[in-house]
Amino acid sequence: MEAEEFLLVRDMFRAFAVRFRIGSADEVKPTARTTAQEALGELGLAGLRRSSPPAATVQECALLAEEHGRQPLTTSLVGTVLLAPELLRLLERAEPSAHGGTPTIALAHDLRFPGSAPDSSPSRLLAWDCEGADSALCVTPDGTVTALELGATAPGIDLLRDIRSTSSESPARVLGRLDAQEYRHWQAYALVMMSSELVGAAGSFVRLSVEYARERRQYGRAIGSFQAVQHLLADATVLVEACTSATRYAAWCLDNESPARALTAARVAKAEVNASALDAVYTGMQVFGGIAQTWEHIAHLYLRKVRLGAMTLATTADLLTTLAQPELTR
Amino acid sequence: MTDTPLDFGDPADLDRLRRRFRAWLADHPLPERLPDEPVPVFLHRWHRLLHSGGWVGLDVPVQYGGQGLSALHQVAISDELGACRAPGVPRIGYLAHALLEFGSEEQRRRWLPRMLAGDDVWCQGFSEPGAGSDLAGMSTVATPHEDHYTVRGQKLWTSYAQYSGLCLLLARTDRSAPAHRSISAFALPLDRPGVTVRPLRAANGDDEFCELFLDDVRIARSERIGAEGDGWPLAMTTVSYERNALDTGHLSKYGLLVERLRRTARERRADLPDGLLSEIGRCFVDYEVLAAHARRRTAERLGGQLAGPESSIDKLLMTRTEQRLYETALKVFPEEQLRGEEAEDEERAGAGELFGDYLYSRAASVYGGTSQIQRNIIAKRVLGLPSGN
Repeated sequence: MEAEEFLLVRDMFRAFAVRFRIGSADEVKPTARTTAQEALGELGLAGLRRSSPPAATVQECALLAEEHGRQPLTTSLVGTVLLAPELLRLLERAEPSAHGGTPTIALAHDLRFPGSAPDSSPSRLLAWDCEGADSALCVTPDGTVTALELGATAPGIDLLRDIRSTSSESPARVLGRLDAQEYRHWQAYALVMMSSELVGAAGSFVRLSVEYARERRQYGRAIGSFQAVQHLLADATVLVEACTSATRYAAWCLDNESPARALTAARVAKAEVNASALDAVYTGMQVFGGIAQTWEHIAHLYLRKVRLGAMTLATTADLLTTLAQPELTR
Repeated sequence: MTDTPLDFGDPADLDRLRRRFRAWLADHPLPERLPDEPVPVFLHRWHRLLHSGGWVGLDVPVQYGGQGLSALHQVAISDELGACRAPGVPRIGYLAHALLEFGSEEQRRRWLPRMLAGDDVWCQGFSEPGAGSDLAGMSTVATPHEDHYTVRGQKLWTSYAQYSGLCLLLARTDRSAPAHRSISAFALPLDRPGVTVRPLRAANGDDEFCELFLDDVRIARSERIGAEGDGWPLAMTTVSYERNALDTGHLSKYGLLVERLRRTARERRADLPDGLLSEIGRCFVDYEVLAAHARRRTAERLGGQLAGPESSIDKLLMTRTEQRLYETALKVFPEEQLRGEEAEDEERAGAGELFGDYLYSRAASVYGGTSQIQRNIIAKRVLGLPSGN
């Protein structure tokens, strides 16, 4: 996109996010969810990369995922607007799916990439980030892409993100197959978008806690004037910046480097985010103090999102052992 | 900070530069360090050789003896040197930036080309026994006279002063003004009467740090850099450029060690406990994150942003990377800690190369502003948090 065009899209998206953000856990209601998802659909972002060559770069999509993470939103951007359409693009399917519905993606029962857990039998797959979706696409390590029907809601700790079981009644439909390069691109793309959303969440929550530290007074002065509090917030800022650099660089790699290099960069980003975004949220909560321990406060919405996000697609343990050894030259 | 797309890529001509440099390296083998030759003297010979090929000061404008390219170009040279285990390029970038931003046209032309060529070796006289973290509390005084100043005081941690000809010196020129506006910067030739340099042995055995005693040393007004009272902003600029892993050339050094750890992880996979394997993975993540972060900073700087208080973020990330890396390396190569007894070189007894670097890594959270000072800077100048009272 041209720089100005991107700014327009981003500002439009920001306006959407501010309008539909959740003020507290009690505002998470089915009708509100549907309305918000429809409004997101009207922005037409699912088509951002449908043209050839794609109109939006991966980095631009990643920046939108960051924006989505900044506000507590119930909408599915990563699953239905970014990941599933990218998968269909790789399969060169012009239509979102055979029957024109809205797919999201399917993950293993522990939310890692399908096939990375020893017992990820198809019946135990979960459809992830399902708001507005009517099917889920599953990619196995051999690159086979199948479409699955959605089953019942499978509530997770993240109150914002809709997760469902996949239906075991109707058989999976094979849509096509990714080659090895495409499979690496797919994994890298998914890791980057997921990481971006979590970076947005952590960065935004830390910013809120900085604002709070400026306002909140104890002992007759703003708590943000105490060095103990300042150093906590400085450390959280460093963590958010580290996550941001790693994630945006990985997104850039998807646009400019080989899929193998991009996958390494994406794994690095997810490993950094898994640890640091969570730590940053903890710090923000510490600065908010007691108020952040209540149901009304949005802190736990951020914590739930980042906590579950840190184990989604790839855990720290998976990533660090993979990254500990040099890539085999292929 | 930018939240629009950035170009993390190398400039188009970088590959060509790398190839030219490799060809030059093939024709110019590394000089051998002579027996008893102090490391800084050996490195100085290397500096001059590199400069003769045009490989020093690539990011300094042409009219001052540089090549007018970007910091990335200079880093590419560091990388290439790192890859063939040669010593790095001399770390003068931050001094050059101080002169570029604060020196007069005459001073830039007088000192920069000689600095790049290694004709003048510079050191940095900032810290004092009583002014470490509280740098603005320095007590060295430069008393103004008609056409000169007389300087009295003491400096500490002045790296390699015993091998230097010039010192970028900070001293108080106006005792009545507030601390941050009363400091001026000077270029002090170290052979002036009244200057005494005394080396101090560091924990790793190196004679890097020095004490500098200044007894009524005469400095000409033309040797003052910037206006009277500009010393503090000049110092802040200098240290900003000292806090970025790209500017300091540390990145390629970390990269080499990380790759050594990963190769070991592959070769000794069965012997390494899982915990240590994860630690190696974590070191690789730290390194890659730091590299991505440095690229992001460079892209922002090419877009016109000057180094500022965010460089404290860079410094903390660099410290995190370096300290965890050497900590892990000593666990993976425990035998490196036992080598001291066989060391033939008395000077470095107890300090194998890796252990020496490990000791140096402990200084990372102290030099160039402690980690606590960096956090103060982030809190106040990046986040805008209020001061106490």
